[in-house]
Order: sequence, then structure tokens, then C-alpha cells
Amino acid sequence: MTTLIKLEIIRALRNKKFMFFSVIYPPALYLIIAGGADSKPIPGMKLDMGLYFMVSMAAFGAMTAVLLGNSERIAKEREKGWVRQLRLTALPGRGYVAAKIAAAATVSLPSIVLVLLVAALVKGVRLDAWQWAAIAVGTWLGSFVFAALGVAIGYLATGDAVRPIAMLFYFGLAFLGGLWMPLTILPQWVQNIAEWLPTHAYAALGTAVEAGSAPHAKDIALLAGYLLVFAGSAAWLYRKDTRRA
Amino acid sequence: MVSFRQVNKSYGAVRAVADLNLELHPGETVALLGPNGAGKSSTLDLLLGLRSADSGTVTLFGTTPQRAIEQGKVGAMLQSGGLMEGVKVKELVGLARDLHPRAYPLDHIMATAGITEIADRMVDKLSGGQEQRVRFALATAGANDLIVLDEPTTGMDVSARQTFWGAMREQARQGRTVLFATHYLEEADEIADRVIVLHRGRVLADGTAAEIKARAGARRVTFDLDEPVDRDALRGLPSLTSLAVSDSGAGAGSGRRTVRIQSQDADATVHALYGLGLYPHNLEVSGLGLEQAFIALTTASDQAPATAEEAAR
Repeated sequence: MTTLIKLEIIRALRNKKFMFFSVIYPPALYLIIAGGADSKPIPGMKLDMGLYFMVSMAAFGAMTAVLLGNSERIAKEREKGWVRQLRLTALPGRGYVAAKIAAAATVSLPSIVLVLLVAALVKGVRLDAWQWAAIAVGTWLGSFVFAALGVAIGYLATGDAVRPIAMLFYFGLAFLGGLWMPLTILPQWVQNIAEWLPTHAYAALGTAVEAGSAPHAKDIALLAGYLLVFAGSAAWLYRKDTRRA
Repeated sequence: MVSFRQVNKSYGAVRAVADLNLELHPGETVALLGPNGAGKSSTLDLLLGLRSADSGTVTLFGTTPQRAIEQGKVGAMLQSGGLMEGVKVKELVGLARDLHPRAYPLDHIMATAGITEIADRMVDKLSGGQEQRVRFALATAGANDLIVLDEPTTGMDVSARQTFWGAMREQARQGRTVLFATHYLEEADEIADRVIVLHRGRVLADGTAAEIKARAGARRVTFDLDEPVDRDALRGLPSLTSLAVSDSGAGAGSGRRTVRIQSQDADATVHALYGLGLYPHNLEVSGLGLEQAFIALTTASDQAPATAEEAAR
């Protein structure tokens, strides 16, 4: 099982093109979106746009790499029959899911670090050392949730259907979770839904730290719950997959 | 050790496996034969737990296929089994070793599968035959009690094929059970000590290659006729199992016909042929290969009259 995790990480590192764009995309997006934002505080929040978007773009970028990357790659591997071959080994379902999450985490970590670097160097964001560390680690660990969701989607859908389904989750969760614009400027009913979404809890980890406090227990519990559900269904779908995709 | 009891599997209206009963015994090398769509792949999928049966039970080593696989008792090489991309051959074989509870040393696996010289090659850059050998290495990465192979030598050249079956014989000699599906009937004839013919999801014949040939009609009788052919009279010949009549290549315009007969008792058939008052030219009596036996069995089961196309295959 450890060999599989190791191999998945090696593969991710070897796939230079995927790695390059996955790592470059989030900081580029951050510069575009937060580039014109001034340091006016956001209505109803203690943060300004630069800070807010640093966290949400780090989260959004990490989510792009792990959710879209995982789901498409897994659907492809099922089509090619590699997963069928793997199912003829003693590998348990959780081993497969763990390896896929590890591979995704390999890609998401540098992209997160790069967004934070760009924020500090280009946008002049200043935080305490513990805040930088907490945001990086929190955003990285939080990306596991979406990596697991990516595995599950890769198993739910086949072939051509994967991309649209993954996109639906990706944009839906990003928008409703407030990664693109602060939720406080959206209607109340959106805010009510958002509160329970993994993306909202994910970004809230970082914004809580930026505001100088520890992440809320509710957000952490919510993310842990989503991780269990996504990873559990991904493992179940892996073992259950009897279709010849 | 492998047993199918009253197993059924349908895909929509298509019955892929119908009331299948099958027992495999330790140390056997068994070939699974059948035309396309006979249910070979479905049978193997059920055996490996990749699909579940609609009814009936499949047991491996007294337990479910999934459990037997988790215990590392089964090695399998699937036709549809893909390989992980973006890794080296030796890394992939290393993975198979890591996942097997009774793995062999890496060098040994690589040498047996004949992939030592491509150990550092990326999996995505392999030829079809090389891929097939890597699949073989994955299937034999550890000590399995049962090895299942679905058309294992597809894409291999002659020498690779010989090496492959050499390695398989060695596995069988060590008391392992080998079950393989194949399109190459000579492989079944040479290698298997038991041949199972599947047709429309059922077992049509089960025995040694020699027994299958005998069952299908032991001999083939071929001759040309100048006079008009009375098919009904020919069909009435004793011991006949199949009949085919075609224009003979040489005298297409002359009305000369070539008749091909399969017979359980060629002596009686030929004797009766002269009794019909016919004058057969170029009479030949020959033994049936497994391939003809196989065609004879499956066409007889379809209960369709043998036609020229079928005989020409």
C-alpha cells in the first residue's frame, strides 16, 4: 500500500505539464482577481480584498488541481482497465483512495505556497509567522476533502460525462462557498446554504486565521465530516465498480 | 477449488452465462474455448469477482472470489487489464510485489516474464507484446494457487509465446492450477490437459483435447463430384456429423463440386458413399484438428445445417 502511495506521488511529480499549470494557475488567478482590489475593508468583514482573496484563491487553486485532476485521471484509468487490474490485487479500497489523495496533495501544496508568496511579495500582505504557517497547512489539509470528492466523481461517471459533472461540482461549490466573492455581498439565502458547504468551511479556516483567531471548530468538524463521506463513498465505489468502463 | 453452481448472468436480454456448472481441480491446466460471445470473458469476470452473478454461486478455495483474491491466492492477466502510466516497468512490478502477501524476488519475476531488459522503460512506451509480458509479470508476482489468463498471448510474437508457455508449464509443474481462455486452438491442444468448450454461456464439451476431437466427429472426408449433388442422399450417410458442399476451385464452370464431410466412422461413411453409386474424385480422409472439432461442435449445437461458409473457415 505504501508503494502505491509512493508511486502515485512519483507519477504526479513526473507529469510536468499538469504540475506546471496546476501550480501556476492559482497565483495567476489571484493576481488577476485581487490585482485591482484596494485595501478597503469588505462590508461586514474585518478583512480587506487582498487578504480575503489570498485565502480563497489558494483554496480555489488547490481545489482545481485535486478535484478536476483526480476525477478525470481516475475516469481515464478505469477506461484503460488499470483499475480492473488493481482490483485483482489484495489492495483494500481505502489504500486506493489514500494513494489518490496523496498524489493530489503533492500537486496542491506548491500551488498554495505560491499563492501565499505572491500575496506577500506582490500584494504586500503582512501576517505573523504562525498565521502564514497555519494558513498554508490548513489550506493544504483541507484540499484532501476535495481530492476525495474527485476520486468519488471519477467513479460515479464514465468517459465524457466526467468533465461536465466535475465542473458542476467545482463551479457550484466554489461560487456558493464564497471563493469568488465575499458571501456578505450575496443574498441571505445563498449565505444560509453556503454555511454548510465544504468550500465555505475550507475558506473559513484561512480567514479565521487572518483575523487573528484559531479556525472555528464547526468548520473543522464540517470538513472532517465531508472528508469521511467523500473518502468512504470513493472506497466503496472502487470496490463496487463492476462495470467495464 | 474453483466451482460454479447454477450460475446465471445476463446483460439486458442477452444471457451471457446460462446455468453454468463447473469444477476445477488443483494442478490442472485448463483451456476455455468458445467463439466470440460464448461467455468466456463473463465467466472469467465472475470467477474473479469483477462482476456478480444474477443467481447461483461462484466459490474459490471455499470462499468468495473477493476474499480469495485478498488472500493472494489468485493471479490474473486480463485482456482488458490496463497498466498504470507514468511509471517504470520495475516500479510497477514492485507495486505488484508489495500488494502480494507471498511475493517472489523482483529479479526472479522480471526474468521469468522476460522483461529484465526493459526494467527502466516507462510503461507508456511499451509495444503490445511487451505490455503483455508486463501483465504476465503482474499476474505472477507472487505464489498464487490459481492463475487466470484471458487470451494471454495476443500480440506476442512466436518466440515470446513459447517463452510464455514455458513459464506457464513451470507454474503448472509446481502444482498450480492454470485456467486460460484463448483464440489459438493449437495452444489449447498443446498445453491444456483439459479443454472446456463454452457456447452461448453453457458448457458444450469438457474433456481432454483428444476426447473433444473424438466427440466432434473423428475424421474429415473430402472429395469432388462431377455429377449433380443430392444433398439429402449425402446427409443420409452413416456416422456423418456435418456436411458441406462448395464449388470446387478448379472447375467452377464445369459443375464439379467439392464435398466435405465429418464422420464418426470414416470407413462406414466412405463405404456407403460408393453404395450410393457415386464416383468420388480426389478422395481424402484426414484427422480433425481441434479447430475443426470446435467448429463442428458449436455448429452442431446451433442445429443449423453446415454451410459452405462454415466449412471454409
